[in-house]
Amino acid sequence: MNKVKQKDLILYSGLIILGLAAPYLFSAFKVQLTYLCVLIVLAMTWNLQGGEMGYNTFGNILFYGLGMYLTASVQVGMFFPLAEWTESGGEKTFVHTTAQYFQGIGVGLLVSAIVPAIVAGAIGYAILGLRGHYFAICTLGLGIAAGEIAGGIEIIGAGQGFTTPPFPAEIVDTEARGKFFYFLSFALLIGTFVFVKYIYGSRFRLILNAIRDNEDKAEAMGIQTMKYKIVGWMCSAFFCGLAGGIMGGLIGYIDSTDVAFDGREMGVFMVLMAILGGKGTLWGPVIGATLFHFFKEGLWTLILGWQYVALGVLIVVIVVYFPEGLMGWLREKYPERFGEVIDDKDRKAQVELK
Amino acid sequence: MNKIAKLFITSISAITLALVSFTSSFAKVEGDYIVLGSAISLTGKYSSNGVHTQNGYNMAVDRINKMGGVEVQGKKYKFEIIYYDDESNPKRAAQLAERLIKQDGVHYMLGPYSSGLTKAIAPVTEKYKIPMVEANGASRSLFTKGYKYLFAVLSPANQYLEVAIDLAVEKNGGKGVKIAQAFEQDAFSQDVRLGILDAAKRTGSEIIIDDKLPKELNDMAATLAKVKATKPDVLVVSGHTKGALTAIRQISEMKVDVPMLAMTHCDAAKLSKQHGKKSEYALCASQWHKNLSYKDKFFGSGKKYAKDFQKEFGYDPPYQSAESSAALLVFKDAFERANSFDRDAVRDALVDTEMQTFYGNIKFGPGGQNVAKPMILFQVRCKGDDCENRVVAPTKWASDKFYHPIPKWSERS
Repeated sequence: MNKVKQKDLILYSGLIILGLAAPYLFSAFKVQLTYLCVLIVLAMTWNLQGGEMGYNTFGNILFYGLGMYLTASVQVGMFFPLAEWTESGGEKTFVHTTAQYFQGIGVGLLVSAIVPAIVAGAIGYAILGLRGHYFAICTLGLGIAAGEIAGGIEIIGAGQGFTTPPFPAEIVDTEARGKFFYFLSFALLIGTFVFVKYIYGSRFRLILNAIRDNEDKAEAMGIQTMKYKIVGWMCSAFFCGLAGGIMGGLIGYIDSTDVAFDGREMGVFMVLMAILGGKGTLWGPVIGATLFHFFKEGLWTLILGWQYVALGVLIVVIVVYFPEGLMGWLREKYPERFGEVIDDKDRKAQVELK
Repeated sequence: MNKIAKLFITSISAITLALVSFTSSFAKVEGDYIVLGSAISLTGKYSSNGVHTQNGYNMAVDRINKMGGVEVQGKKYKFEIIYYDDESNPKRAAQLAERLIKQDGVHYMLGPYSSGLTKAIAPVTEKYKIPMVEANGASRSLFTKGYKYLFAVLSPANQYLEVAIDLAVEKNGGKGVKIAQAFEQDAFSQDVRLGILDAAKRTGSEIIIDDKLPKELNDMAATLAKVKATKPDVLVVSGHTKGALTAIRQISEMKVDVPMLAMTHCDAAKLSKQHGKKSEYALCASQWHKNLSYKDKFFGSGKKYAKDFQKEFGYDPPYQSAESSAALLVFKDAFERANSFDRDAVRDALVDTEMQTFYGNIKFGPGGQNVAKPMILFQVRCKGDDCENRVVAPTKWASDKFYHPIPKWSERS
């Protein structure tokens, strides 16, 4: 046991060092690395519902978009009238001082973690009674509806979009902005990972799994499934909101349907990444998101105009050949490495059966 | 688990190595080439206009390179453009701008298509002090932000249809008119709306319908039903290419009678070809028309440009292509006057731009918008089944009389 822990320790410290050094090693790739952190966070939190609890949600994008708008609104609203900031597509210009900028984004992120979690609780209370396809379709509607509603609210820019406060001009170093958002997202990634890992070692995960495997039986065992489902979703919303807040600041321009409530891209990507890596595992979403991001950034530009066709093919390949994701596939191929003991007789019997 | 961990570490280090070897970025000027970068919408909802933009850029690059290129410090350089597909998504566009600048080492940018995407890219180019000449971001708010490295060869969006309201008031004997308007929820169209609001206030007109339509506009029947009931004097619609096509399709299907119909993006939607006689009498705002008498030595006149463009790409150039071509002419001119590849020198030269191109006169105002060129209005007119766009305003360029009011559907054959 101790030995394994030591190996883990080496792995984790290695990854953290790599993460901390990355923006210096690959200075030109800071933005892509920030995206990677956020994508991993989204995949990991989706996995809590889709993988562990068996509730395929398309609604997590709601919390992501909510976080984005909240962070930006708080950051502006704390110091300037928000309505004037966004009026006529943001014609008036107010300038944040360095201190205001960081105070604003700090408070904004705090709000964007708490409010989406509360919203998840409220919506969850209403719709987590639905199961299977019904839940999936219902959550699909959430993101789309939110996008359309946000596109009509004048105070957050409506259809004109919301330009988030620019990084303070007093900081002359052009690299500072990239580093700031990278480390912010990296911190979020570590926080999310630690939290999810903690859940993996807890009774909470077993309850989520019980809900996935047989909800009625779980209820019959005396588990208040509704309570756990809601709490699980609130946890995801907490981190999704933070991810959205960071992304809003990084992108610099929030559009209701294309950037914030971007169900067509981010909403689908988070599901895809988790499934690609292997849902229901700790490392699956991490690996899936990393591979997906590299695939996207590396190949996307080589096949200009055809990238969504390639994405479609990728989805088909994943679903047909790796239904359990990469982790699931590896587990089936090398079960010993996952600590599963397989009886030799049993294996022979299986071979004979084939 | 530990094996997996090893595998994971190995793959990460492999990726790391691969990345390091890729990091060596290109130079802004490579050999004989000046490298420009552009994120452009090749897929997604702006794809047709994205392609118009790209064709315009490519046409100008070919032409300038063929005619001797750009001369800087006695040496001839050629233009080259690195394109990425921004998928009509502001998030992607901002990321790609960063990529062009940081990884591909681009020092000069060409704009994307649409105001929303330009809004997303401008903060990035501004941060790295990269001069960007853009031809398709018309939103007024782009020019009030104090951007120093943003230059637009086009007139701001709020000017698009203001003239149309003036025309309607004039036809109404100087009295205010009743306006019905429907705009897509997008940065550009909402800016056109602001222009109408200003014009309505100025002329004492009343806005009786003010609808917002969803993106990727495929249906506006609800708005049209209201128009049928309230009988406004002018109907204004703006929603990029799809908006223009949808409007004409449903107006003709529902036989909506309105004395004046003002729109944007008629020529990008190839309205007169796609809908033929149904689109007759539609009044369209345009940045450019081939019949205008501007000239330059690269493309000759607008007519010549249209002919060459038709030969190369097989369709009549919409103004989106023309203004994109003009952006390259502006860059060439600025490089030659700066006589340097220093970004700030090029930027200063851009500020002083004052030139005529086949597309129109170009001179940048303090916010970076083009102040030397007026918007024009054309009207779709048909002879038999053959429809074309004729300029009707401003009077200086008008080749035809403005036809008003639009005959009722029952009287149209």
